[in-house]
Amino acid sequence: MASNPYSFGETDQVLVEEKSSARIFTLNRPKQLNAVSFQMVSRLLDLFLACEEDPSVKLIILKGKGRAFSAGGDVTAVVRDITQGNWRLGANFFGREFILNYVMATYSKPQVSILNGIVMGGGAGVSIHGSFRVATENSLFAMPETALGLFPDVGASYFLSRLPGFFGEYVGLTGARLDGAEMLACGLATHFVPSNKISLLEDALCKADSNDPAVISATISELSLVPNLKEKSDCHRLNIINKCFSRRTVEEIISALEREAADKEDEWISSTIQSLKKASPTSLKISLRSIREGRLQGIGKCLVREYRMVCTVMRGEISKDFFEGCRAILLDKDKNPKWEPSRLEQVTEDMVDCYFSKINEEGWEDLDLPRRSNIPPCAIAKL
Amino acid sequence: MEKVNFRTQILNGHLQNHRHATSTAAIISASPCVSYVPPEVSEQPFSFDVSSMRKLMDGHNLGERDWLFNLMVQSKLFNPRLRGGKVFVVPDYNHSMEQQREITMKRIEYLLDHGVFKGWLTGKGPEAEMKKFALLEVIEIFDHSLAIKIGVHFFLWGGAIQFFGTKRHHDRWLSATENYLIKGCFAMTELGHGSNVRGIETTATYEANTGEFVINTPCETAQKYWIGGAANHATHTIVFSQLNIDGNNQGVHAFITQIRDENGNVCPNIRIADCGHKIGLNGVDNGRIWFDNVRIPRENLLNSVADVSPDGKYLSAIKDPDQRFAAFLAPLTSGRVTIAASAVYSAKVISIAFTLFPIISGELISSYYCSILHRYLILIFSHQISLAIAIRYALTRRAFSITANGPEVLLLDYPSHQRRLLPLLAKTYAMSFASNYLKLLYVKRSPQLIKTIHVVSSAFKATLTWHNMRTLQECREACGGQGLKTENRIGQLKGEYDVQSTFEGDNNVLMQQVSKALLAEYVAAKKRNKPFKELGLEHINRSCPVIPAQLTSSMLRSTQFQNDIFCLRERDLLNRFAAEVSQYQAQGESKESAFVVSYQVAEDLGKAFSDRAILQIAIEAENNVTDASIKNILGLLRSMYVLVTLEEDAAFLRYGYLSTDNAAAVRKEVAKLCSEIRPQALALVSTFGIPDAFLSPIAFDWVAANSWSTVEN
Repeated sequence: MASNPYSFGETDQVLVEEKSSARIFTLNRPKQLNAVSFQMVSRLLDLFLACEEDPSVKLIILKGKGRAFSAGGDVTAVVRDITQGNWRLGANFFGREFILNYVMATYSKPQVSILNGIVMGGGAGVSIHGSFRVATENSLFAMPETALGLFPDVGASYFLSRLPGFFGEYVGLTGARLDGAEMLACGLATHFVPSNKISLLEDALCKADSNDPAVISATISELSLVPNLKEKSDCHRLNIINKCFSRRTVEEIISALEREAADKEDEWISSTIQSLKKASPTSLKISLRSIREGRLQGIGKCLVREYRMVCTVMRGEISKDFFEGCRAILLDKDKNPKWEPSRLEQVTEDMVDCYFSKINEEGWEDLDLPRRSNIPPCAIAKL
Repeated sequence: MEKVNFRTQILNGHLQNHRHATSTAAIISASPCVSYVPPEVSEQPFSFDVSSMRKLMDGHNLGERDWLFNLMVQSKLFNPRLRGGKVFVVPDYNHSMEQQREITMKRIEYLLDHGVFKGWLTGKGPEAEMKKFALLEVIEIFDHSLAIKIGVHFFLWGGAIQFFGTKRHHDRWLSATENYLIKGCFAMTELGHGSNVRGIETTATYEANTGEFVINTPCETAQKYWIGGAANHATHTIVFSQLNIDGNNQGVHAFITQIRDENGNVCPNIRIADCGHKIGLNGVDNGRIWFDNVRIPRENLLNSVADVSPDGKYLSAIKDPDQRFAAFLAPLTSGRVTIAASAVYSAKVISIAFTLFPIISGELISSYYCSILHRYLILIFSHQISLAIAIRYALTRRAFSITANGPEVLLLDYPSHQRRLLPLLAKTYAMSFASNYLKLLYVKRSPQLIKTIHVVSSAFKATLTWHNMRTLQECREACGGQGLKTENRIGQLKGEYDVQSTFEGDNNVLMQQVSKALLAEYVAAKKRNKPFKELGLEHINRSCPVIPAQLTSSMLRSTQFQNDIFCLRERDLLNRFAAEVSQYQAQGESKESAFVVSYQVAEDLGKAFSDRAILQIAIEAENNVTDASIKNILGLLRSMYVLVTLEEDAAFLRYGYLSTDNAAAVRKEVAKLCSEIRPQALALVSTFGIPDAFLSPIAFDWVAANSWSTVEN
């Protein structure tokens, strides 16, 4: 039975349930807030590929155990691997993770992700690319990478750039947190279902016994509602977000915000400026460019580019901010990272270019995405 | 066996589909008999790095370009539509003329609000200029109307102020123009006079007692015509008029005149009418203007070369109006306007202008003007757009099996389809290098370069715009019925770009001017018995190239041969043209009428000059590349460009530059090149850097885009 991809086990990082034609995968590292590890990624990838081949499977439901859907990639493990030896181990992890993201984005069967809790970074990567994303009142979404010296990866340059106006730049650069209602409003979620109806939803989906996206969508819609946005929601700020975050460079974005702040006292503006000033300058610059390029590219190209970027980050030749960020936020938790370069203007165009170029090192190659034929149109762009 | 399997699969698909439809009776499942396979999946991996090639093709300001693409994609104003799972932005050409004009203006306001035009008139130096070009190119990829409307405001109105005006005009107008506090237009063409600006009939008469010019439209043929921006939006215009002082005509001068007030009402003594609906470019509000004793202050004369004193004295160091015009143009090329307010003019500048304009006459006013200010607008991208669409479609659409029960064949796998599209692709590459070259020439302009700029830009403008229209037509046909749909862009682009063969100088007139300029070089060289040293004619100083009697494949692909045959054609035609003109002159014809009757050779010569210049630019671009894989493909494209030109231009056989045997060898080689370029076709159109959203549904999943589920019921 070694070849059976559905082998079960309580210690598995992914739990698998089989209910009629549906498969329910549960991310199972509740103590680590279901942080996406190499093992979990590999397991999910095997499961997804096997289910695609298996004609008896019509639908995949993905959820998290405990209070998080997934708080992101297991970055501490990656940093540990790199500092102990070769950055290639980290590259291996990200490469596998991105391939999983790609398979999900081009998947031929519906994937319903139930986002009943924290969804951040790598957690967004394993859900947002799928066809259906169900938010609840417990959802908490963020792409916090710029505060960590990284950048929104896992295909975020694809899905963030497809949010309305320049909301994606805002979310990606500031690491702003969104609740379930906001996720629905901006399109990160396709549905909102109150958490007390989630088990009903699972049953209904299994009973639906269908791979037809229209049927699945109708099934979820029956239990879903449109929640009100909170009064101070970022979604009410679209005008100012578009005005400022559409600027060509990070420096111009910040000065546009500062001009707005000069006009009127506003807590939202000043906290937005604060989060930009706290983030790694290098991260901000490469993130902005990544989102801008991503808007004009397909998901495959986005992931190939992000892979170049993440490998450059891990090599640490241009900047070691990723390690410093992990130290300050995740390990020492002093929340006081010392970025290097420390100011935006010190991050030159040439430095930024390096992150987008091939890596000149023997044995390194661009991310080799699996060839996926017969991609259904609904799988190409979800947002 | 493979074919049998294929057939079985299709039949199976039919049956399953049928079963599916009866069992669920819901939406028809997306498993059509002929499924769409993205070319990225079906084609071989690229043999060269697409992004390096894009850098080479776009040349500059890639970050700014992508930023602007982003700005457009993210705004509802740019009419985003979801088709086949992808968003496309393309103007709604089904809108009425009025709606198209309105939305074009709104788009300009949006771009303005986002700082796109910052520094377009107030910025200094080559960097600011290259950035401006890059942004305008991106705008043009979205919509020609939008680019033209912006071009008129910044480059015709704004450029005239910048180059023909002096400090008082700059201070008052440049920044206001950049911020659209006023909207400018450019009233040169009249109903009765287009390319021949010296013949315009509008008058400006100076009145010393009021210190004003009085502008008049004396007759119907003097109405200003085709004035972009005049019909709806423009508040100010540059009027070109004959200046009269005390009954003396001082020639054509340019004046600033307000035509609408700040509320958009037409000013007194101005009449404006619409030019009406056009075959394309309906987002531009072309209008007609009549002036009825319109009074403007003396200061509104653009006085970089000549001025009128308050008491009505015409001030200019130059007496002859034609020569004055030459001087008028000098600041255009110096890169900066340094002339002080009055008509004082250094003798040096004037003498430079004289020596540079041995061939100039007043009739050329517009083309000279345009060659400097506006002709970079030939940096057209519609041939790139249409080729990207047609080639992507040809890589996914199949037609006819060539074996019994075999699968249908991809369009681009037919050699005939390759022959239709791939030579055009090769030409597009050559011409993209040519337009980049022209841009650089403009940016580093100097008085010494003005002749080259004028001749090269005239030749390239005609050649590129003709190539563009031809490419659009071929791509339209190559897409079959889909090419007729407006959403697929190509068909519509024909109407949108047709005007390019006419504005900024009629193509035929321009080509005649090229021949005339070459003849002037020839006469000058022969008369003084001096070598050629300009316009790339230096090759004539060397001995005449000899074309081998039996051309082999490798010879045909060598730059040596390619250069030789293009140079041979040019020098021979130049000799013939000179001989023919002087023969007519010997028979007593005037120089002008000798030109007119020698039009056949003149036309061949213009083409020969242009093709040779483009080839040399392409060779240089290729030589500057270090990456072997890119060099390799550029070599194939260059050979294709040359050989297909040899095949298409009858001059090579007519004048015997190619023997019939050699012509046959060329034809064979073109077919071979087609099959060698075929595997790179997708990569080659991917390098254009045009985002998917600016292509069209048939360039992607056209099955999904047309499926029943997308029909709004």
